[in-house]
Amino acid sequence: MSYYEFFCPVKVIAGQAALEHLPYEFSSRAVERPMVVTDKGVRNAGLLDKVLSACEEGGMDITVVYDDVPADSSKQTVTAIAKEYRKQKCDGILAIGGGSPIDTAKAVNILVSEGGDDIAQYAGSGVLKRPLKPFFVIPTTAGTGSEVTNVAVIADTEKEVKLPFASGFMLPDAAVIDPRMTLTLPPQITAATAMDAMTHSVEAFTCLAKNPLSDAYAAAAIKKISNNLLKVMEKPDDAERRLELAQASTMAGIAFSNSMVGLVHALGHSLGAACHLPHGLCMSLFLPYVLEYNLEEIREPLSELLLHLAGPEIYAMTPRSQRAEESIATIRKLRDDLHRHCGLPRTLQETGKVEKSQLDRIAQMTIDDGSIMFNPKEASLEDARAVLEKAWA
Amino acid sequence: MIRERLRPLASQAKRAYVQLMLDVVGRSLEAISQVDDEVRGEVAVLPDGFLFSMQVMPKGPALFIRKQRDGSLQYLGGGVAQRPDLSIQFKHLHHAFLVLSFQEKTAQSFANDRMLVDGDLGYAVRMTRVLNRLETFILPRLVASRAVKEYPDNLGLPEKVFSAARIYLKVAMNFVDTVRSS
Repeated sequence: MSYYEFFCPVKVIAGQAALEHLPYEFSSRAVERPMVVTDKGVRNAGLLDKVLSACEEGGMDITVVYDDVPADSSKQTVTAIAKEYRKQKCDGILAIGGGSPIDTAKAVNILVSEGGDDIAQYAGSGVLKRPLKPFFVIPTTAGTGSEVTNVAVIADTEKEVKLPFASGFMLPDAAVIDPRMTLTLPPQITAATAMDAMTHSVEAFTCLAKNPLSDAYAAAAIKKISNNLLKVMEKPDDAERRLELAQASTMAGIAFSNSMVGLVHALGHSLGAACHLPHGLCMSLFLPYVLEYNLEEIREPLSELLLHLAGPEIYAMTPRSQRAEESIATIRKLRDDLHRHCGLPRTLQETGKVEKSQLDRIAQMTIDDGSIMFNPKEASLEDARAVLEKAWA
Repeated sequence: MIRERLRPLASQAKRAYVQLMLDVVGRSLEAISQVDDEVRGEVAVLPDGFLFSMQVMPKGPALFIRKQRDGSLQYLGGGVAQRPDLSIQFKHLHHAFLVLSFQEKTAQSFANDRMLVDGDLGYAVRMTRVLNRLETFILPRLVASRAVKEYPDNLGLPEKVFSAARIYLKVAMNFVDTVRSS
């Protein structure tokens, strides 16, 4: 008999004019002086202005903005933002951005709620024992799902390690999904982040901690990505379809944070750390090869996914015994189409940033990555090396 | 009525079984670290003095293992005051019983949120591999297949029997030493 746990208390505010709900959400949590945590990219793209305008129009002036979060956030950044938060006497946090500003804001919220200047003392799982300050998130990419996950990773640059944080208390009070925030995302980032969400969903649906509730979110997310990604690539200013991708990302985030991920993420984390490639691209590079590797362990759920990946007609026309293989073929075709549209690399060689001599080290890092625990098949060093070889060219 | 009376006995038996199995696992880890090169390779990465524990929450049975300078593991028993560098904690006695009676694989127990990891996840993955390797050696194939995600194809019967015999012998000697010194 199976057993599972599922937890997602985040209020999702999604759709047209979602940003305009922010002042109400702040007031419902008695927040009068929120601090915005974001990065220069968000400000330069004009996205910060959209949020500030929506709040101003709703009678709330946001005056405290930290917009200098780096791509790989560190302990020092978290300490500096927490200091500013205290100095400005803020009473809540609004994160705007992709993975880095959101993770940074989660860590800042720990410090300003629990006290102290060293975020490292709160690293680990289950360390936090009480609710934190009011926290809101507006994602500006459609991929990470960080707005609904209870984890954050912050670099300790002195010790050269990444500090993981995990607690249900780190989840935001609300996530605001507004299509205006992803409308100007460049094509390759749109493709890579959508493949990140696709991988979250596929791994959630096929790995060891899958459960009926996460399956429902994962399947629905895959359907949305399959139906909308290529159309967004053709017509990037289609707000309806942008919203579909943004919702898919949030749903995929809910799915994988309740069922974990597997070997694609273990390989992707290692490749990203060794070669400094974007996370979404790493996911896209490994997804079909890992599915082939896991095939006999995941044949049944992968066969089911064909319905959501390719639609009812292809699902019905494909013999039952070939549906799993057809699912992989559909993902490969999607990657080919994305490569044609925006040049998203399909192999390690195509990235131009990976040396073949690095594969042994990446394989070694892979088998020590926590995600490998939830992969349905026991992956050895040789197995990881073999998958890397297949993904090479 | 009878069932009500037997319940505390069943619970005590379960606790005793988990305690005994953690003791056996602790001694076996010490033994396998002395005889198996693959385990020594896994352990080599851990810092000297690294303290690992498996515990039942909140204050249930436990095992503590320390990595020695010579690369082997030393079983320290079930009670060490020092905070471990890495601990794997079962949320409930019954969850530990499921794993230690080989009704649930270690990886599945993680996936089912029955265990918490406090410490470096990479080291936790390594220690899980060490535990899996131990189980494949000391348990009959049928039982080991229930305990690990995948029984290794390349583990032949002669290697298994030879290694298991060496581990069992070392565990037996360890027990004898403990009895003598107590």
